[in-house]
Amino acid sequence: MVATFDFLAANSVPEALDLLARHGSDAKVLAGGQSLIPLINLGLAQPSVLVDLNHVRDLAYIERRDGSLAIGALTRHSTAAQSPLVREICPLLAEAVPLIGDRQVRSRGTVGGSIAHADPVAEILSVAVCLGATMRVEGPGGSREVPSSDFFLSYLTTALGPDEILAEVRFPELPAGTGTSFQELVRRQGDFAIVAAAATITLGDDGAIRDARLALSGVAPTPIRADAAEGWLAGKQPEAAAIQEAARLASDGLEPDSDVMASSDYRRAMAEVFARRALTEAARRAHAKPTR
Amino acid sequence: MSNPRPAVIGADVPRVEGIDKVTGHVTFVDNIEPPGMLHGMIRRSQVPHGRIRRIDTSRARQLSGVYAVLTGEDLLRMDIDPYIGPAFKDQAPLAIGKVRYAGDPVAAVAAVDRDTAEEALDLIDVEVEELPAVFDVQDALRPDAPLVCERLVPAGTFADLIELLGGGDVPATSNACFQYKLRRGDVAEGLRRSDRVFEHTFSNPPTQHSDLEYHCSIAQWEASNRLQVWTATQSPSYVRIMLANMFRLPESRVRVRVPYLGGGFGSKLYMKLEPLAALLALVAGRPVKIRLTRNEEFFTITKHGLVAKLTTGVTRDGRLLARDCQIMWDTGAYADIGPRVTHKSGYTSAGPYQIPNVRIDSFSVYTNKPPAGAFRGFGIMQVCWAYESQMDIIAREMGWDPVEFRLKNVLREGDVQATGTVVHSLGLDQCVRAVADAVAWDYREASAPHPTGDGARHLVRGKGVACSMKAVITPSVSAATVLVHSDGSASVLSSSVEMGQGSDTALCQIVAEELGARLQDVAIVHPDTDVTPYDLITAGSRTTFHMGNAVRMAAIDARSQLWPTAAELLDAAPDDLTAQDGRVWARTASDRSLTHGQIMMARFGGRAGTIEGHGLFETHHGSTDLDTGQSDRVTAHWMCGATAAEVEVDTDTGQVRIVNLATAVDVGNAINPFACRQQIGGASVQGTGPALLEEMLFEAGQLTNPSFVDYKIPSFLDLPDRLQPLTVEDPHPDGPYGAKGIGEAGIFAIAPAIANAVADAVGARIPSLPITPEKVLRAIAPP
Repeated sequence: MVATFDFLAANSVPEALDLLARHGSDAKVLAGGQSLIPLINLGLAQPSVLVDLNHVRDLAYIERRDGSLAIGALTRHSTAAQSPLVREICPLLAEAVPLIGDRQVRSRGTVGGSIAHADPVAEILSVAVCLGATMRVEGPGGSREVPSSDFFLSYLTTALGPDEILAEVRFPELPAGTGTSFQELVRRQGDFAIVAAAATITLGDDGAIRDARLALSGVAPTPIRADAAEGWLAGKQPEAAAIQEAARLASDGLEPDSDVMASSDYRRAMAEVFARRALTEAARRAHAKPTR
Repeated sequence: MSNPRPAVIGADVPRVEGIDKVTGHVTFVDNIEPPGMLHGMIRRSQVPHGRIRRIDTSRARQLSGVYAVLTGEDLLRMDIDPYIGPAFKDQAPLAIGKVRYAGDPVAAVAAVDRDTAEEALDLIDVEVEELPAVFDVQDALRPDAPLVCERLVPAGTFADLIELLGGGDVPATSNACFQYKLRRGDVAEGLRRSDRVFEHTFSNPPTQHSDLEYHCSIAQWEASNRLQVWTATQSPSYVRIMLANMFRLPESRVRVRVPYLGGGFGSKLYMKLEPLAALLALVAGRPVKIRLTRNEEFFTITKHGLVAKLTTGVTRDGRLLARDCQIMWDTGAYADIGPRVTHKSGYTSAGPYQIPNVRIDSFSVYTNKPPAGAFRGFGIMQVCWAYESQMDIIAREMGWDPVEFRLKNVLREGDVQATGTVVHSLGLDQCVRAVADAVAWDYREASAPHPTGDGARHLVRGKGVACSMKAVITPSVSAATVLVHSDGSASVLSSSVEMGQGSDTALCQIVAEELGARLQDVAIVHPDTDVTPYDLITAGSRTTFHMGNAVRMAAIDARSQLWPTAAELLDAAPDDLTAQDGRVWARTASDRSLTHGQIMMARFGGRAGTIEGHGLFETHHGSTDLDTGQSDRVTAHWMCGATAAEVEVDTDTGQVRIVNLATAVDVGNAINPFACRQQIGGASVQGTGPALLEEMLFEAGQLTNPSFVDYKIPSFLDLPDRLQPLTVEDPHPDGPYGAKGIGEAGIFAIAPAIANAVADAVGARIPSLPITPEKVLRAIAPP
């Protein structure tokens, strides 16, 4: 059945909020449309109103601000992928973005759209969870800041209210010399990941791990931080045995769902493999001297 | 041959329709819209097996914009033969009495637009009493299995399906609808005398054709019971015959037209949507188009799943002494062309080898799943998957080089194949050598894994080879007409369908060659059964060999009518004439020449007239012993191909990357070498899908992945790092210029070559397709 809906283009954030206030939960926000339009075409989403943000020019930017990389929600993946600032401040994001979908998806899809849609295996979600990104949400009562740990609630579910829009994502800048790595398992190039791992490793002056972060996706309804693994690595030398044990701890006890793409057992086994790969690569890069 | 040397044959001319296609100027069926056209849509069964209690269409009929609503019951009340099916008349356009798979059409609607039609479908109440169902071929053959189809009526249409009329050992009340049976030598004795006997079972799941263009048919009734159909079919001549049968019309009152197809691969053979479109159009009194969705494609036709048990005896010196093949084909809820798949692949189920003792029992088995039909190769992919996997196991266990083991046993000129038919013109050993060279095969006795990874990633490489052969469908008929117009340009009237394989180009090249015309002055008239003569089907790698011969004969016939006039004008004997590039001259006086237009002008005394040349090419089958399958001539020609693959396996994840994929096909003599390589390359890539990715997944008869989101086909980024389509040329005496059919042979051996390479890399064998990372990982490190 051909979908029918009212298409309302907003020219500013207040205008968008006003439209959402009027149409409430009947409305969906349209950014790049790379998830929403397929869902509508498949009949899985049936909004009666689309509020289009594509004309809200001041939502598309990439800036360094207060020790973080601030990205306007309407920034296209392809723009982020080509940004020297993203590569400099947030190499983990720079590594993840080219893995999103295909060229067409990256040209049209947006960073904010991906986060607001909250497909748990979307690459940017793992990066946001790994780095502890902060979302700036605009709503009828003004702005609020939501940390990623409170933002992603479940599969395709976030803390965004029906009258709110995501305006900005801020990825905290990591200490100089931190190594990062994003690794994912796909059945086919360009597909959503079966399992993905995002890792950062910061070394102390003694060469031991001062801070390790690891996020895994494809094993739970949102990307998860592997606290046990991170805790285990703190203070350890970045060596294979320590990383192997961290990867084991990260996957231990996971109970992912089986689906047509992979069984639960396979997902758990791959969580360990990709945790190890991401940590190993992050540790290798952490050894490298900062290029600046 | 009138020409000093072939001018157009053997040239890499670009596709005649290429520019129009890439610039979006060609017409597909879905682009056609006769005035007043309605849209037909189909309501499908939710349950896999059940008795239809009641279908209430009253609310749907009352919906504004709805012109026709039909159920299977309605068909029984019409003056038609409602049963169709190319092998057995076991299927009706809408289920009658019973539904046999989840997705079986139970009702149809024609309405002013798709939205209205869809709304009407929702208003139909279907009451079905569920029956016990069967989803697995082995379960289906148990004596107490629920019967999917209660009665078998052979369709009697195709001359190659003689065995449908008897010969098998299966009881009439069984889910096995057809048995192919071959007996050669004494298998029990052969196995007893063997030094080693190997027994293995291999399987593959049902998969999709995945052609980009959906099934689409338009039917329009004109005055005085004249039916006009535009349809995306590979078999326009067959569709006309069957529609004539269904509506009890002379064939001359059924007109079937086919524009370009957006891919076929066997999915668009025989009748699919045409009868239902015609029925809806008859009731509605307006033209009706039915166009499926991608989701519906999954419930329309599939490639057969297979279970094959092979028992093979070898001697210590590397010879195959005996092979027993017990094969079960999952043909789904309706036989479609399953029996032909079983039959055609039956001939060579024991592999392209010299084996003195062979027994083949191959069964076409009903299950409550979507019907399975033809897929590029008519079953050869599936049987090749089995026998070439086993050949590799044998070679590795016996410590023989897999390439040398095959070369020692492959059939060669003059050998007698398992069917009793002598092999001629089969360049299989050259194909095997060509692909082995292309991957730098090192002819090792036993291989060690080749690690290429670093500490973080564990990567190992391996190489594998596989080969196959197929008999072209025989007997068969192709007819063609060549018209030379008053300006000397020519039209080729052929019922062969251009579905992306390049047949328009090859046929134009042949006609241009024989007339000595310029390629751009020759045009194809696409299938229109009022105009274009009969052709069996566009399938089975038939077109270049069969229609190629027919258009060549038609062009020679036209030429022979033109040449006397030309000879008179040039003061030469007709035999002395030659023609090329749009000019005709006498070999003895090349300074004077004529254009074809000048000859026509002279022949008809002005800008007028038509010369018609006709060609009819037929092939014949030898008589067959139905108890043994032995025949002196099962086929008009053999086709063959071989593939070598190099893969890299990630032993942490089980992922397989194809590093190098080389496929060689014996093309006889290439009419268009570039187009040949395109066909072979395309087949190779298509073959990687079922090898590594594709699988229709069912839970209790319900398909769980009916979309391209969950059913994965390879994308451009999944192409092998290196793809090598290769041609081998062993000319066939009966082929046009020695050419053979090549559309299928490139896909036969892809999956086993990849599996054999994986086994070479990691020492583990995956006996069921697809070779998923999860299966590989489990095979390397069992839990």
